[in-house]
Amino acid sequence: MEWVRYFLAGILLLLGLFLEILAVFGVNKFRKALNRIHAAAIGDTLGILFVFLGCMVLRGFSMDSLKLFLVIAFFWLASPVSGHMISRLEAMTNENLGEIAVVHLDNEGKQEEKDHGSV
Amino acid sequence: MSKRKSPQELGGYLKFKRWLAGDLDLLEDVTEDAGPAVAPESADRLPARDSALESRRRASEEVYGPEVWPQSHTPGYAQAWRDRIALQKGTGDAQAVLQAQEKSLRFFRAVYKIMAVLLCGAIILVFLWTTVHLPPFGSPDNPANNEVPARYIRHGVEETGATNFVTGMILDYRAFDTFGESCVLFIASCCVQVLLRVDACDGKSAARTRIQQENDRLFEPKNDGILQQTARLLVPLILIFGVYIILNGHLSPGGGFSGGAVLGSGLILYLNAFGFAKTERFFNERIYRRITLCALTFYCLAKSYSFFTGANHLESGIPLGTPGAILSSGLILPLNICVGLVVMGTMYSFYTLFRKGGM
Repeated sequence: MEWVRYFLAGILLLLGLFLEILAVFGVNKFRKALNRIHAAAIGDTLGILFVFLGCMVLRGFSMDSLKLFLVIAFFWLASPVSGHMISRLEAMTNENLGEIAVVHLDNEGKQEEKDHGSV
Repeated sequence: MSKRKSPQELGGYLKFKRWLAGDLDLLEDVTEDAGPAVAPESADRLPARDSALESRRRASEEVYGPEVWPQSHTPGYAQAWRDRIALQKGTGDAQAVLQAQEKSLRFFRAVYKIMAVLLCGAIILVFLWTTVHLPPFGSPDNPANNEVPARYIRHGVEETGATNFVTGMILDYRAFDTFGESCVLFIASCCVQVLLRVDACDGKSAARTRIQQENDRLFEPKNDGILQQTARLLVPLILIFGVYIILNGHLSPGGGFSGGAVLGSGLILYLNAFGFAKTERFFNERIYRRITLCALTFYCLAKSYSFFTGANHLESGIPLGTPGAILSSGLILPLNICVGLVVMGTMYSFYTLFRKGGM
């Protein structure tokens, strides 16, 4: 039983590390900001999920696992939003993106104004 | 440009005066030529830029007077760029020079990459080699396990009342050191204020608003719905977590510095989501000043009292309480709160200063 758990945790950790390496490789390989955000988001969400799942399997049911779960929840809430904000800034300020429609929504979700990323 | 003398021919003071007047760029010959990065087609876009610049220049003159507007932003700028682009497209002489530059640049980049990899490998090797020679973790024979930590572990709880030794150390035995650190944070934020603060405008606020609206800040995402919904969920959690770290600092890992950083980042998230107008309802510059002043003064007075009584073998009269309870360990809890407030204010004020030059 212990061996099965270690095996499972090892597979999860290796998968998570593979995704993180993929993210780092993508961030350094791509040249445009939006592509890089896409690559970095893989590591921030899926990579972290698998690494911490591996740690949770190693620890079993305990307080540590609960804290790790909270960390995962925090990352899954915060990191996609930060990616969204960075990509939105990039779409609004970069003049060489081509035609990208940027839709502004106000608080109630109504469409406020509409302009284009390229000037 | 050609009728100007080169910077080397001018005297130092003359150079300085002309630099102040704005018609001399001291870095003209030193900086990399920005020309090749621009595609030739972009010359067609420049007239539109000129008209936009002209309106911004007029607005700038209304507020700051004519001197401030940089020379490079005047309409003649477009002509200069067209000249430069024509030079690049043009004769074989310029082409040869460019090609030679390109070649040496490529050689430099190759050498740079190889050296970077070698340096990284060397650093990794040194670190691994050091790690191998470290003493085993937790062994009682380690050189760090001498009489000093033994004394603190034996008497720390009864002397400070804190079950977290680190907090007991930094806020009791070495409290003046921590006071200095808080003051360093405060002085750092003062220096950033001196450097980055934008003065309040007098009267001509309409033109000033126009400038600000044409600034890059216009492009900053405002009132983003996704961010606001996330912030509604996360900001209370982050703030509660920061308060927990500060209040539990003498019981578990944590304390004023880390808790204050968490509080400050929660405030920054709130500011990003909801803007300055809503944040200033509960945290503006006056409140920040009062909080910092009160926290630092209380810290100084409390620790002076406890050092005075301690040095003179007097009874301090501050109850230590039962170790492990939340209201225990005497002065450490209020001192933690003071440090946390100072750190929170410093983080928040740094962010606002860098973002708009004032709270």
